[in-house]
Amino acid sequence: MDFELTDEQQLIRDAVREFAEAEVAPIAAEIDRNHRFPHELLPRLAEMNLMGMPYPEKLGGAGADYLSYVIAVEELSRACASTGVILSAHASLATWPIYKFGTEAQQERYVPDMASGRRLGAFALTEPAAGTDAGAGTATATRHADGYVLNGSKMFITNAPYAEVYIVFAKTDPDRGARGMSAFILEKDTPGFSVGEAEHKLGIRGSSTPPIYFTDCHIPGEALLGEEGEGFKIAMQTLDGGRIGIAAQALGIAQAALDAAVSYAKERVQFGKPIASLQAIQWMIADMATEVDAARLLVYRAASCVDNGRPYSTEGAMAKLFASETATRVAGKAIQIHGGYGYTESYPVERNYRDAKITEIYEGTSEVQRMVISRSALR
Amino acid sequence: MRIVVAYKWTCDPEEATVGADGTVDWSRAKPGLSAYDPVAIELARQFADATGAELIGVTVGGKGVGTPIAAKAALGRGLDRVVIVEDASLAGAGPSELAAVLAEVIRQIGDVDLVLTGDSSVDVAAKMVPTVLAGTLGWPAVAEVTSISGQAGELRVERAIPGGVQVLKVRGPAVLAAAADAAVPRIPGMKDLLAAAKKPAEHAELAALTVPARAAVMTVTGWSRPERKARKGQLIDASDPAQAAGELITALRQADAL
Repeated sequence: MDFELTDEQQLIRDAVREFAEAEVAPIAAEIDRNHRFPHELLPRLAEMNLMGMPYPEKLGGAGADYLSYVIAVEELSRACASTGVILSAHASLATWPIYKFGTEAQQERYVPDMASGRRLGAFALTEPAAGTDAGAGTATATRHADGYVLNGSKMFITNAPYAEVYIVFAKTDPDRGARGMSAFILEKDTPGFSVGEAEHKLGIRGSSTPPIYFTDCHIPGEALLGEEGEGFKIAMQTLDGGRIGIAAQALGIAQAALDAAVSYAKERVQFGKPIASLQAIQWMIADMATEVDAARLLVYRAASCVDNGRPYSTEGAMAKLFASETATRVAGKAIQIHGGYGYTESYPVERNYRDAKITEIYEGTSEVQRMVISRSALR
Repeated sequence: MRIVVAYKWTCDPEEATVGADGTVDWSRAKPGLSAYDPVAIELARQFADATGAELIGVTVGGKGVGTPIAAKAALGRGLDRVVIVEDASLAGAGPSELAAVLAEVIRQIGDVDLVLTGDSSVDVAAKMVPTVLAGTLGWPAVAEVTSISGQAGELRVERAIPGGVQVLKVRGPAVLAAAADAAVPRIPGMKDLLAAAKKPAEHAELAALTVPARAAVMTVTGWSRPERKARKGQLIDASDPAQAAGELITALRQADAL
């Protein structure tokens, strides 16, 4: 068993860290405070070839392995969790299903623009009454002479106001439940498609997640992704990979909180000495460091499964479950170590704490991850 | 046109720990490109792009400088190829020895019009190698370089001097040490890093080079630390901010700091 990253993975980690510290971290608190989407970062993410890291160069990607991509999401999220999820939703949820299930024409039409960062992507599965029970969605796609007509709404759609390509799931045969769901590629500016008001969220406030609406929205037949009725399968397989990206985001948040706690513990003097010399603090730091390291091993293992062509559904679920709950625990302890200052915006740990919580919820709640894991364990 | 950047692969002293007895523990310090060398590479890359020159990295040193990751890290920053001399005898080598080996590699590459270096190395920071290298090659040496233009054989070089910029015309090949802030090094993109493994990395054997006998023209014979001035330890009561500010200004003026 080799626990060493390859040369390329180490260099990618160092370069993304350098980029994140120089250009992402300085605006992280401000975009959080103002609920502002970091438009200025997208061209830089594209220049760094981060928007399509795991896709082949011939399709506009960087041709990196999945583990390198996961490391990049981790490092970006360490500086700014909002930026991490903007990238992860674009690359893992929007680009991947086209790359995996798209026809050659669909791949050529969309993947190069998305992988190179020219067009931002979004993934539209969740509905007001269909979250974890994604198959219960009521948005419909009715066959029309030259395509389909979409009606209904979706909510919590990351990147929606600024995306140009959307993966939309809608029922082509509502009577068949989840099996009647199909996937479509929707372009912005399609008549009948609109974006609602952004949600005011607890965390990841730089990432915009408004609802979207379809009102007699006509899309061409070639917008169908995969076959009719394959939508639920496409959604689940996409989320299997996407949740490794969210696990990496959680890992980055946890590492940021640990870094801040270590730094503060060394500087903060109480009883005439740095609080890092107190056993109560040392034990908290020890637990935090161990959990972060364990989360990293699970996340990297899941990504390694992707790279080696092995099944990764259970491994991805374990990684997301543990990394996300670790992020919340570690960020909570980081606030505890900071004391009253940690409860203020003077230090980043309150943002880490707020950002961490969502990683236990989106792209499959912790409860869903436990379902996936227990099914595998009890098989 | 052919440009060489002489770079150093070494550990950052900020990552080393110093024991109570003054011994330095480097075991947890991660090796990397010396801090100012990416500035030199960026300055050289911009000039090479403007002139169509080939950009070659050269490094010489002890164990580790020839590892694949060291070569890829340098190549990922924009070099076209690298030539590496890794030999245990070069660990901790002084400026004369390093310059002698660098000069021989540069001669062997041939037709080199310009050599750039970083402002100083992150570990020693003595700023000697560029000058000794130029002396060894018989070329002019220019430090604090902020801008390069022109063409092979006739360069226009700008250098930072106190209070302004000096503009030089430099004939013939030269060794230029880039100022620490001469350029903002680009952070390598993912494609740059992944392509680095495909670029040529030549490993030259020290024994195969015709390096003059190691009778160094210049030998470092000792080091000493700057004398530390005793601190005054003057505390100002800040309960009245306006009065405290006045006292601070007075104290700074008395100390000739304002």
